[in-house]
Amino acid sequence: MNIKDLPEDENYFTPGHTACAGCAAPIIVRNMMKIFGKDTIVYTPANCLLVFGGTYPYLSWKVPYLHEAFENTGSCIAGVSRAYKKKGKKVTVVGFAGDGGTYDIGIQALSGAAERNEDAIYVCYDNEAYMNTGIQRSGSTPYGASTTTTPAGKKIPGKLEHKKDMAEIMRAHQIPYVATMSIAHPKDFLEKTKKAKETEGFRYLHVLSPCPTGWRADPAKTVELARKAVDCGMWTLYEAEYGEITNIYKPKKKIPVEEYIRGQGRFRHFTPEMVEELQRWVDEKWERLYGEKP
Amino acid sequence: MYEIRFHGRGGQGGRMAAEAYALAAFLEGNYAVSFPFFGAERRGAPVRAFTRVDKEKIRIKTQVYEPDYVVVLDETLIETEDVLEGLKENGMVIINTTKKPEEVRLSRPVRCATVDATSIALDVLGRAITNTAILGAIARATGEVGIESVEKAIIEKFGARLGEAAGKKNAEAARIAYEKTLIGTSQGGKAFVPKKRWLPDVNELPVGGAIGTLQTDAGLVGIGSFIENKTGDWRTFMPEIDKEKCIGCKICWFYCPEGCISMVDGKAIVDYDYCKGCGICANECPVKAIEMKREVRI
Ligand SMILES: Cc1ncc(C[n+]2csc(CCOP(=O)(O)OP(=O)(O)O)c2C)c(N)n1
Ligand code: SF4
Ligand code: SF4
Ligand code: SF4
Ligand SMILES: [Mg+2]
Repeated sequence: MNIKDLPEDENYFTPGHTACAGCAAPIIVRNMMKIFGKDTIVYTPANCLLVFGGTYPYLSWKVPYLHEAFENTGSCIAGVSRAYKKKGKKVTVVGFAGDGGTYDIGIQALSGAAERNEDAIYVCYDNEAYMNTGIQRSGSTPYGASTTTTPAGKKIPGKLEHKKDMAEIMRAHQIPYVATMSIAHPKDFLEKTKKAKETEGFRYLHVLSPCPTGWRADPAKTVELARKAVDCGMWTLYEAEYGEITNIYKPKKKIPVEEYIRGQGRFRHFTPEMVEELQRWVDEKWERLYGEKP
Repeated sequence: MYEIRFHGRGGQGGRMAAEAYALAAFLEGNYAVSFPFFGAERRGAPVRAFTRVDKEKIRIKTQVYEPDYVVVLDETLIETEDVLEGLKENGMVIINTTKKPEEVRLSRPVRCATVDATSIALDVLGRAITNTAILGAIARATGEVGIESVEKAIIEKFGARLGEAAGKKNAEAARIAYEKTLIGTSQGGKAFVPKKRWLPDVNELPVGGAIGTLQTDAGLVGIGSFIENKTGDWRTFMPEIDKEKCIGCKICWFYCPEGCISMVDGKAIVDYDYCKGCGICANECPVKAIEMKREVRI
């Protein structure tokens, strides 16, 4: 499965949406939807995607679509999926939640749905902060990033804690499928999406979603940043089935984190010590996931 | 008291301009307040901000509905809405455009100042962020504050956020704009048809508000209806595809956040009705067949 295998004339997320120029989220959503297909029902909680994908009565979605509260993605997709089962209809039920809606406020509903192995797909598009409400830190925000609730200045040097490893938490649920993904690796991205569609039970897809507004980066560099995040080890691509990692991508050449954070205003204040701290975290994660020192 | 309404797009810094202007007025011994109008705006979508200045304490907290001055940071906005709405009889509009005041067409002839703040910002700051340059033009056109106060306010406000050097550069942009501002009278006669809204009564609204796709006299609503929302006027730069060079790899087609690139006879083409000018396609094209060019609007 590669870019050229995607249908050209099927688009379930139309132009006219109001995401910031250069936002990765519509890239993720449009291309995933091409694979999920027309028999899909979509749920979004409160987040950027909800807002830029439609303002009632206008909508970019071209499939049945619903919105409920911020913290309910897990339970809503579970309910929708069961309702369709009862009716004997085969549909793909997908929830697209942000990192705030996943790592923090939505984690209990998500964990419950995963533990019950509900037949639905949960996609976390991870832009590493609460962007819709103006860039507040979340459990996903990386160490040192300046956000409006962790403003780098005299008092604190940005966020004090490291990014929570949400995909590993989901892997620990031993669900049928967990995949971490990047738009910078289209073949991998599409194959994982297809595999998720074809798998039964609870599926968790986690995509890093560069956000030029919140990361204070050049909109043209969105894909480049997604690529560098993987190359430096900040973001790792793997697949896990029932808790076992079955496939993991290792960058051919590991680049220093410094190359990734450069050009992102949220890291502009970094001192050499902070770079070192972030690099230490990356190297530890690397060793944990690849079983060898970088 | 006088009131200013700023029209910009999210991310252009209209709010910071309104605040910095208030600071400049305050530095000259006035009372001043400023605030943005919040909605669900993203970067690129039209937004408004307001400033009020008075010799007395300011008790009024509403949005500005009858401004003395209207400031337009993005000239595409004068095409889509009547920026003169509510402007006082002898009010004035200050527009970021390459045009002379006499070449600008609005709903009625008004006192009009123009400045090419985008070029100034690109020259001095290297970025199309026009919110500081425009302040110089306001000082010049209205005479309400001195350019020195504007410079001071910019250095204080932007310097605190971006560092001293950047603060000074922004003040320089304002000074250049101050010197280059043209003052005259605009043309009138441009007609605006207010956008119709879909306002169903309770009997017309489906249960739960769930709608499929409906054709209404306010246009499409429901599933897929955003297709009628043309986002092309958000652009500052436009991608130009060299057909000769394009190898039809579809990488730009995959990556365009708007989904506005299509493939025709194996070559990529852009639908400029929606393209927001992000530059991702140009950055990712493996054979560099796409170039981002400064948009020239006629
Ligand atoms: C219970 C509740 N708390 C707070 C909000 C306000 N709110 C709406 S969207 C949002 C941020 C969403 O962040 P995230 O899930 O990371 O998605 P993003 O906007 O970053 O894409 C917040 C805090 C809400 N809608 N509901
Ligand atoms: S704030 Fe970030 S995530 Fe939200 S629409 Fe803008 S670029 Fe996308
Ligand atoms: S990325 Fe470049 S070569 Fe590939 S289809 Fe687009 S314009 Fe053509
Ligand atoms: S500049 Fe951005 S929005 Fe315009 S065609 Fe290229 S990728 Fe799409
Ligand atoms: Mg987020």
